[in-house]
Amino acid sequence: MQVTLKIFRYNPEVDKKWHYETYDLDVDEKERILDLLELVKGHHDGTLSFRRSCAHGVCGSDAMRINGRNMLACKTLVRDVGDKITVEPLLGLKVIKDLIVDMEPFFDNYKKVLPYFINESPLPADGKERLQSPEQRARFDETTKCILCAACTTSCPSFWASDDYLGPAALVTAHRFIFDSRDEAASERLHIVSETSGLARCHTVFNCTMACPREIQITKAIGELKMATLTGKVD
Amino acid sequence: MGLKRNVSLATALRYKGQGPFLTYILHRIGGLGMAVFITIHILASFVGGKAGVFVNSIYENWLFQIFIFFCVLFHAINGLRITLLDLFPKLLEHSREAIWIEWAVFLPVYGLAVFVIVHTALGG
Ligand code: SF4
Ligand code: FES
Repeated sequence: MQVTLKIFRYNPEVDKKWHYETYDLDVDEKERILDLLELVKGHHDGTLSFRRSCAHGVCGSDAMRINGRNMLACKTLVRDVGDKITVEPLLGLKVIKDLIVDMEPFFDNYKKVLPYFINESPLPADGKERLQSPEQRARFDETTKCILCAACTTSCPSFWASDDYLGPAALVTAHRFIFDSRDEAASERLHIVSETSGLARCHTVFNCTMACPREIQITKAIGELKMATLTGKVD
Repeated sequence: MGLKRNVSLATALRYKGQGPFLTYILHRIGGLGMAVFITIHILASFVGGKAGVFVNSIYENWLFQIFIFFCVLFHAINGLRITLLDLFPKLLEHSREAIWIEWAVFLPVYGLAVFVIVHTALGG
């Protein structure tokens, strides 16, 4: 099928302003937007820049706005978006070149919630695993699925307004550790997420949940964090 | 080097967030509308004279009443939905259904109010 692919272009070495470039392509409807970008880069303009790695929805490097909505280019088929396709970089992060944005502020926020397992207690007597029941593991299963693509955070109006806001992805990670029965830093993290640049800036807009390629119930996870800060309970 | 991170209002409004994002935008419009109404209302009572009468004529106009009733009702019903979802996070899995219920409550009540305002304005 014939598609018209309009791509946001910006090369800091030659452009003062960004612009769009349009490419008419003959593609299969089962191809992915990532395949189209590769086609343009390989056969039309080798300077086109975008991030990609796994090409299978695992690494989280190719989140971008496709027809106005955050998606992973490697998980979005042409037939799902139609024959007029516009591809733009994520919002709320500086554009470095074409579809590549500066992810530093995103990862700075991620680091603030202590995104690692904390347990200072001695190991169990057998010196092996810290055991956990299936129910305890299920409690935070959903939020382990995050691939840090930033589709959620960059769809959030609060983050567009200020990148001080921790953002949904960092809150999802906080949830993953706070509700892990083996972790011992829940109260420290609850304190971090309850500061003014944390939970209070979530206005339950739902853009994050709609954008997540892993179908994580992000707003629910944030709701559980809000409740935990109110009640002090994390079970 | 690179483009600034700023997101303009026009760009933000073009984001395709679908139903929930629409309610968020309408909620903000409702809040702003009420703030403007209250400001005009207070100003009118202080200003007096011709200017006061003019300001009064704005918010007594039936078109303005249709707008302000939208602001109050939508803000109230949407606010109630968000409060309930925040209080009971489990319900957040059913956000789509919650929005349908919100529209199902809002549309008939607002429709009736618009009918009454228009009917009265046109001398019914
Ligand atoms: S929560 Fe979902 S959208 Fe957000 S960074 Fe993780 S995988 Fe991406
Ligand atoms: S390229 Fe890895 S998630 Fe798309």
